[in-house]
Amino acid sequence: MKTLVQPLVFKSINLKTFFALLGCILFSLNTTTAQTNPTITSTNEITVKGLVVNEDGPLPGVNILLKGTKTGTVTDMEGTFTFPVKLKVNDVLVFQYIGYTTQEIIIKADSSFLKIELMPDLVEILGALDVDKPYKSKRKNKN
Amino acid sequence: MKLVPVILFFIFVFQANAQRNDFANINFDKADAIALKYKGEELYNLNSLVEKLTEHLSTDVERFRAIYMWVCTNISNDYNLYTKNSRKRNRYLNDPILLETWNNEFKKEIFKKLIENKQTICTGYAYLVKEMANIANIECEIVHGYGKTSTMNLDNITAPNHSWNAVKLNDKWYLCDPTWASGLIDPDTFQFKFDFKDGLFLPSPDLFVMNHYPIDEKWMLLDNNKPTFDMFLQSPLIYNRAYANLSTHIFPLEMYNIIKRDETIAFKYKLSKTIELAEVVLMIDDGNTTVEVKPLKTRLNDDLLTVEHQFDKKGFYDVHLLINNDLISTYTFRVKS
Repeated sequence: MKTLVQPLVFKSINLKTFFALLGCILFSLNTTTAQTNPTITSTNEITVKGLVVNEDGPLPGVNILLKGTKTGTVTDMEGTFTFPVKLKVNDVLVFQYIGYTTQEIIIKADSSFLKIELMPDLVEILGALDVDKPYKSKRKNKN
Repeated sequence: MKLVPVILFFIFVFQANAQRNDFANINFDKADAIALKYKGEELYNLNSLVEKLTEHLSTDVERFRAIYMWVCTNISNDYNLYTKNSRKRNRYLNDPILLETWNNEFKKEIFKKLIENKQTICTGYAYLVKEMANIANIECEIVHGYGKTSTMNLDNITAPNHSWNAVKLNDKWYLCDPTWASGLIDPDTFQFKFDFKDGLFLPSPDLFVMNHYPIDEKWMLLDNNKPTFDMFLQSPLIYNRAYANLSTHIFPLEMYNIIKRDETIAFKYKLSKTIELAEVVLMIDDGNTTVEVKPLKTRLNDDLLTVEHQFDKKGFYDVHLLINNDLISTYTFRVKS
């Protein structure tokens, strides 16, 4: 019997009420997630360390920049780094290395250690050289 | 009322040609001086290099200019890398799997050499310009295609061999070629020497397409009169010094020409700077000797240069146009009786 009644109830709810309810549900979800990490939202600061690798292993010399700022660092000979300032949830770190696709990482509450694998950029390698020498026709037999 | 067609003409011209004179009011001296100031900087920290190059410049075109100028005057062309790559690419031309394997292997070598030695080949230049421009929030792309130079077998350009850049400034795309702007390879010793050619910075697209044919034709940046690949192969050979002198190459349309003895041939160009007619010279090679001659007639009509010449002996001639000792273009003439 219950199964028959339920569809009737939904029908009687108009669109406005539906969206209002949806809003309430989403809002409550949002607050519950925030509540699960009270320590992070209150302190706002995470020390981020990490390791950057490529397909062969640790990658030294990778540029790491806090997006929208001039603050950054570079990975050491072992491919590891400690970001020089404390970061907040939703800060974005940009990992950039010549020959590899730039990666952006959004900092989360549990981002105190990041392991990043950079992927090689898909580029075809071509090269034609410029010379300052006049063109010379190839002649079968000289006049 | 006479003004209306003039204004329409200018609107048309500026829309049709996204080129350097769009920025005629901007002086690049400051950007160039900044690039020079940081000569010799390393590539290990690209973010900070880009910041140093761009932080004191107020327009995107100047910021891009400083990056481009720095790349052109600090990165050298490696002839050994070039020959190694073209040999392998030709060998694997019809084998996509081996070509890809080679490319992936070679890519690592290229980028390592770029970072450690600041040496590379075209794609490395184009790649670096794009990466650095992107760090400065300037939209920039690598364009792959066919480049045409005097030492190539012009009848046999079968595979893409060159890379350059397209850059978006003030919502409009422009072209540039950092590799060829940076310098030259000595044809005898194969040593690279820096020799900055300013003309390849935001050149006129219809001149650029004469020695840069992109795989994707949208990067010609031409709305109409897009040449076909065959037209590109058959068009006259232009040299990179042409960009400092011409904005358009009008005539002859083809590299190989057949004419009659004493027939008048006309060469037409639109100039990008003021020249003296006395600076216009033809260098003619009949297979045995090369002589410099004054053309029969030269005429200047505003920025339109017309050169006329005749041959009084039959034969086969390579004809090079020079303006103020800059090698501009080459044609061949078979002269019949």
